[in-house]
Amino acid sequence: MKHILIIDDAATVRLYHRNILEAAGYSVDEAINGIEALEKALVKPYDLYIVDVNMPKLDGYGFLKEFRLQENIKQAPAIMVTTEAGANDRTLGYAAGANLYLTKPIKPNELVAYVRLLLGDLS
Amino acid sequence: MNSLLEQFLSEARDFLQSISEKLMQLESNPNSVPLMTELFRFVHTLKGNSGLFDFPEMTRVLHASEDLMDAVRNGRVNYSNTLADQLLEAMDFVGMMMDEIQVEGKIIKNYSATAAEVAKSLRGLLDSADAVNVPVAIEIYTEEGLAAKAISWAELPELNLPESIAMALYRCVMDGDTVFWLQYTPEPECFFKGEDPFFLARQVPDTLWRNVISTNDASSLAEMDVYRSQLIFQFLTTAPTEELDDLFRYVPDQIHRIKIPALAFVKPNGSVNNQTVDDEFISSALVLLEENNLAGLTRTLLTMLELSAPDLWSSSVLRWVLQCIEVEPDNERMQYALLNALRTQITPDWSSMTPTIKPHEVAIEPVAVRSVITPTIPVISSGLPDELLQIFHTVVNTQREILSLPGKWSAGRLQSVAATLLGCYRTINHVYEIETEAALQLALTEKSPLPLLALLEAALLDVAVVNTPESEIIESLGGRENANRGSEDVVSVGRRSEDAAGASQSKTLKVDQEKIDRLMNLIGEMVVAKNALPYLANRAETVFGVRELAREIKSQYAVINRVAEEMQDTIMQVRMMPMSFIFQRFPRMVRDISRKLGKEVELVLEGENTEADKNIVEALSDPLIHIVRNSLDHGLELQDVRVAAGKNAVGKLIIRATQESDRVLIEIIDDGNGIDPTVIKNKAYEKGLIDEATLERISDQDAVNLVFAAGFSTASVVSDLSGRGVGMDVVRSAVERVNGTVGIESIAGKGTRIYLSLPLSMAVTNVMIIQSNEQIFGVPMDLVVETVRVPRSQVRMIKRKQTTVLRGRIVPLLSLNDLLANDVAQLPNEDDEFATLIVRIHGEHVGILVDNFRETVDIILKPMTGILGGLPGYSGAALLGDGSVLMVLNPRELI
Repeated sequence: MKHILIIDDAATVRLYHRNILEAAGYSVDEAINGIEALEKALVKPYDLYIVDVNMPKLDGYGFLKEFRLQENIKQAPAIMVTTEAGANDRTLGYAAGANLYLTKPIKPNELVAYVRLLLGDLS
Repeated sequence: MNSLLEQFLSEARDFLQSISEKLMQLESNPNSVPLMTELFRFVHTLKGNSGLFDFPEMTRVLHASEDLMDAVRNGRVNYSNTLADQLLEAMDFVGMMMDEIQVEGKIIKNYSATAAEVAKSLRGLLDSADAVNVPVAIEIYTEEGLAAKAISWAELPELNLPESIAMALYRCVMDGDTVFWLQYTPEPECFFKGEDPFFLARQVPDTLWRNVISTNDASSLAEMDVYRSQLIFQFLTTAPTEELDDLFRYVPDQIHRIKIPALAFVKPNGSVNNQTVDDEFISSALVLLEENNLAGLTRTLLTMLELSAPDLWSSSVLRWVLQCIEVEPDNERMQYALLNALRTQITPDWSSMTPTIKPHEVAIEPVAVRSVITPTIPVISSGLPDELLQIFHTVVNTQREILSLPGKWSAGRLQSVAATLLGCYRTINHVYEIETEAALQLALTEKSPLPLLALLEAALLDVAVVNTPESEIIESLGGRENANRGSEDVVSVGRRSEDAAGASQSKTLKVDQEKIDRLMNLIGEMVVAKNALPYLANRAETVFGVRELAREIKSQYAVINRVAEEMQDTIMQVRMMPMSFIFQRFPRMVRDISRKLGKEVELVLEGENTEADKNIVEALSDPLIHIVRNSLDHGLELQDVRVAAGKNAVGKLIIRATQESDRVLIEIIDDGNGIDPTVIKNKAYEKGLIDEATLERISDQDAVNLVFAAGFSTASVVSDLSGRGVGMDVVRSAVERVNGTVGIESIAGKGTRIYLSLPLSMAVTNVMIIQSNEQIFGVPMDLVVETVRVPRSQVRMIKRKQTTVLRGRIVPLLSLNDLLANDVAQLPNEDDEFATLIVRIHGEHVGILVDNFRETVDIILKPMTGILGGLPGYSGAALLGDGSVLMVLNPRELI
């Protein structure tokens, strides 16, 4: 079973994503900000990260920048999820290390499809 | 006529011919699928071509033909002789319009009624089920509302817009704008017709939202045809109808346009999690609504929104209610319906509701313009369902976007991109896995995304980029023109082979024909001007007595003469056109006429590459058609007659062009029944064209030549004769207008040969200058057989007419002074000899007595204009090198 870390300061969003992903057969952990996410990831590497942008302490960009420098875990794909969908934000996200930039609300089946694709689980 | 149009016409004729050929083949093989497919392709391409121009009637008929052939191809309609007849008729109609375009450069007459009729009868052959499928641009929903219209909500396009855009559009419509849903489905073959769907799509004005989807149904990469458009463009636009009509005027049938009512945008989206919204909340909201306490309602809704996840369907409904309160505060029904939807979890059915239109009540924010373009690069398709394929595209293209970003690249980022791509590739049978790993290693060493990017680009290119055919068609157009000039036999050739030819062609420069004509005129004047130099040399020597200078002028003249002649040759080369220009129409024409007459004819075209001046070639066109028609009509016999006469059952018609020194010789030879001179003689006598004496002694050859006599041909003569003779005098005068001659040889029962001899160019005329009654005149050299001096003693009077015997032949003599009505006798020379110009008039030799011969010169013959233009006996005037005017005689008219 593959592990996914959901990083979001909003509990609802975390739950929303958790429900979807668990229903799709993934094991899910949560972090409420970038710092906590880094700590968790260093203890237990995840296969995929779903990252919110606006978070206290360390936001999504900051998290991704740090994360991409950490040995052993840095190569995992990351999906950035946000409500703002400006083109500039996307580029910022990509530059920080995101592999995909999705705009909320994401339809459950869409999210599952993206996750499966990134994890190579579609075949 | 512009070259594109010319190209279109010439190609279209090929297509028309191929179409009729294929139809004939189908007649004997009615179930051949390849034939039908090919036939469809011809009609289809022809239609597409016609769409490039503004010939709506033509396109309309071709479109109907295309639909019909499509139905035949797919087995929905059975091939029948009636169908073939109708199609042929339609193609003839198209051909007729093309003739008009050829002549006039555009369609002048109004064919819309005929076109409609032809198209209707074609469509009549399609069964009713197909008739429904005929795409038409429809407009539904007027300002009056929705319910009154015949077309239901169900027929509105499925709009899956992001909420923010939907809201912006909703506001737009409420603000009084008209929003059209526009779907543009380019024809699959559009790339081959010079259409540029991307360009068109980009041109759509006032786009609020657009989308590109694929119609790709190929299940594997190998099956996908990247030369066909598989795209559907969708737009939401506020552009006025006229603008859209104008933009898509050439592809109106590829456009589907629907006016969207505001409520169609009100479509909450989000996830339905079975989490029903608290019933109490809904009730209290409804109460507030009933009390018309909109402020209170807004507060309640906002609170509720804060409590719900934003991506829920119910949250979306809440936002829509707020939007509605803001834009249409009075539309209680809508607000109620939305709130009620929170209970039912079903989007309200707006079909029964008319929005209240309250324009300008609320200040409208600028519309969020956003392009949602689904990636169009045809990445490896893999049997993934459509939605997944889209997601696949998004992810792959995003990685490309990421890899193209500038800046420093950490190993982690490179690895994550590679990991993402690997995830994608794993979905499609692990392709590119090894390559990606290798590229990643390289990228990590170089600390650069380029190796990964290069691989990704290559992977995408692997399936070819969509707009390749565009450049290809441009190349092939260029190549085609040249190919037309040179090729032996212009048939509709495969595009590929043309490309090869096009690539190796030297560069072609397109020049306005007028400029060439102007250049031609100038060089003509130059040729004449240089003729002044010998005069000058002469004057230098005789008048001023400077022999040295005279010699220098003469040597300089030799140089200028050589350069001028070379220039003249070169410019004439530019104007040269191959005979194939007029020959190419004969196959279809001969086929049609012979079919109509029930004759079997084999047409042989020879020397299509023989070139002549453009004017000459064009002037030849009509006379040739005339002659060929005559040959088919009156020359070649019916099959059984031929067999009975012991001839080959299939008649043979040869049209041959050859170049003989500075003239082009065109021969039209048939092996038909020839012309019976006796019949001609008698007819000519009956018509009073010859007198009894002539009837007695006229040779057979001379008798045959009588067909050229003016007034010989009338309809009755033709039918009586069942030989040829239709308007041959017309042919002759047309040929003579360009200084050509025409002759005929015929052996009764064996066949006929008609030959036209034409100058290569008519810009510069070579004339002989003669002197008579103290004036000088020019006589075109191509009429002059020889010049002789006839001693007075040799001039005999026969039947009160002057004649002489020249090499055993009696030659009538005419005095130029007499012909010009000067009451002066011609002057003989010291030896009492008359200078006599022997000219050939209509095949007969005639001697013209003049006072003296002078030199021959090249002149530019200018036809006389105004009142002088009506002067018979002169072909025109020209300026001589010394500045004097030379009147050029036209002996044909004179005698």
